Amino acid sequence: MHSRSSLALSLAVMVVSGAGTIAALDWPLKAKLFPMVIGIPLFCLAAAEVAWILLSKAPEEKAAEGEVPPLVARRRSLLGVGWILGLLASVVLLGFPIAVPLFVFLYLKLQGREGWIFSAVFTAAVWGAFYGLFDSLLHLPFPTGWLVAWLGFS
Amino acid sequence: MLEALLQGLLAVLQVKAFSFMLLGILVGFWVGLLPGLGGATTLALMLPFIYNMQPVEAFAFLLGMHSVVATTGDITSVLFGVPGEATTAAIILDGYSMTKKGQAGRALGAALTSSLIGALIGAAALALAVPIVRPLVLTFGSPELFMLAVVGLAFIASLSAQGVRGMVRGFIAGGTGLYLAMVGQDPQAGVARFTFDTLYLAQGIDLVPVLVGLFAIPEIIELVVRGSSIAGTTKPGRIEGALEGVKDVFRNGWLTIRCSLIGTFVGIMPGMGGAVAQWMAYGHATQSARTPEEREGFGNGDVRGVLGPGAACNSKEGGALIPTIAFGVPGSTSMAILLGGFFLLGLVPGPEMLTTHLSVTFSMVWTIVLANVITVALCFLLLNRLARLTTLPGHLLIPVILVLVFIGSYTTNSSYADLVVTLISGAVGYLMVRAGYPRAPLVLGLVLGKIAENYLYISVARYDAAWLLRPFVLVLLAVALGVVLYPFFQLWRARNRARA
Repeated sequence: MHSRSSLALSLAVMVVSGAGTIAALDWPLKAKLFPMVIGIPLFCLAAAEVAWILLSKAPEEKAAEGEVPPLVARRRSLLGVGWILGLLASVVLLGFPIAVPLFVFLYLKLQGREGWIFSAVFTAAVWGAFYGLFDSLLHLPFPTGWLVAWLGFS
Repeated sequence: MLEALLQGLLAVLQVKAFSFMLLGILVGFWVGLLPGLGGATTLALMLPFIYNMQPVEAFAFLLGMHSVVATTGDITSVLFGVPGEATTAAIILDGYSMTKKGQAGRALGAALTSSLIGALIGAAALALAVPIVRPLVLTFGSPELFMLAVVGLAFIASLSAQGVRGMVRGFIAGGTGLYLAMVGQDPQAGVARFTFDTLYLAQGIDLVPVLVGLFAIPEIIELVVRGSSIAGTTKPGRIEGALEGVKDVFRNGWLTIRCSLIGTFVGIMPGMGGAVAQWMAYGHATQSARTPEEREGFGNGDVRGVLGPGAACNSKEGGALIPTIAFGVPGSTSMAILLGGFFLLGLVPGPEMLTTHLSVTFSMVWTIVLANVITVALCFLLLNRLARLTTLPGHLLIPVILVLVFIGSYTTNSSYADLVVTLISGAVGYLMVRAGYPRAPLVLGLVLGKIAENYLYISVARYDAAWLLRPFVLVLLAVALGVVLYPFFQLWRARNRARA
């Protein structure tokens, strides 16, 4: 995993810096100087790192004592990413005021396997803190979610 | 002068001014704890409330709030691996590692004590340096400010792992940060660089969503993977641990002072910003490692990586006030907002603040001192309770932290695009952790990229190549070379010692 992550990162940097340098060729000198001066060495360094990874032996994937086995870790990582993307989707579709309590409650219930009463009380406390601080006190502008607006509840 | 110093103290200790300072501390305490909600935003939100206040009361309120934000921001960074403030991200590298080892108390003890010492040194610098610093700031033109950014970038070498491979990865991370800093409208030719025709990217990539994503998201995923509390199976350090952290600061007293001075100096320099100070201090702290093994400890829970940025973060406030008060030149966004406060109160920054209103200037010094002493004492009282949060089951913390991460990121520009930037940064941060890439150089590149480019163009436009021969430029060039070469010197010295 160590070298796969490293390979993915280095390749990404190679692509970004390479594409950036090519895009910069069309700009006036003042605008392209920095992207070229940084981009070319960055591309070379990333290419060197890629070569290094490809030519060296990949380390064996083993869990250290007390660590989570790699397969379980991968599954849980994907689960974590899923929850994060779920929160993003609910914020965009429903807006912060609905997404925050919904996410907290679902996470406690489904992921934490907490009881109904505890989940409800904890969610209410988090929502109260969110509403009291960010909405009532600081008046931060949280827009209505796209879905809520589309349904005409804004 | 002594009389004005005493008058300043007595003015802050008046019931009304002191009460406003306590109110400011209370607001700043919570603002610091909440990720993303920055000190500058809160200063702007609180500015309308000072209309009916006397100058001393208003600055007690505003500075009382602003000067403690970084202190409590350290707490969130150390306990949860989420930057409480953009200026407290560097402390995560070692502070959060200590928390995961069950040394939260020790890390917090070191962070709070070094913050206090930093704040005191910054305040002392403010009191002493106003008459001295004028010629220094006036000597520093765009060439010197560019070189100062180069010195900052040179710290990438110190922030990278040792060995050629470590350096390559460090410079890839630093170069990526510099590349990200170029996103947006180019200030010289007006070309939209890497914006994909979007309005959001035209103004450049904001630091806060990147920082929050880069540091918080990988820790949240790790917490999901481990399925335990932050402290794992280890018990959090109780107050004894905190005392150990306090002792650590005094054991590394000279390092704490040096990092405080770095913070003060960066604070004085207009346009450098607070985020730079912590990384330069962290880079300097890593240079205190005597052996490669010691150097490997940085990023894995070395207490020097906590106290260095902790000290610099708070000392920069006193430093940043110097050009603001003496010349009306704000060194950061917060200071620009504070400058607005001066005008609301009918005060004009400049010579009058050093003569007619000297006692008001000294009241600011005392506010920084008192606010930090009170906050640090309060934090020590609450330390065990705060450290206990790290033993809470992960599934109780994750939704709360994730919600705060999203809100903190969204409020930067009130745009969903900030959330996307946070998630992309999170993915990059996760891969960097897995691949063993250092994250600090990326942040340093992002922070300093725009500053360096702007000052370089101004220097060339104003002086052509002659700027390269200015005395301070040469001095700073030598410092930058020293900073780059120092890790190699450390390696050479360690090898020689091993042979002997």
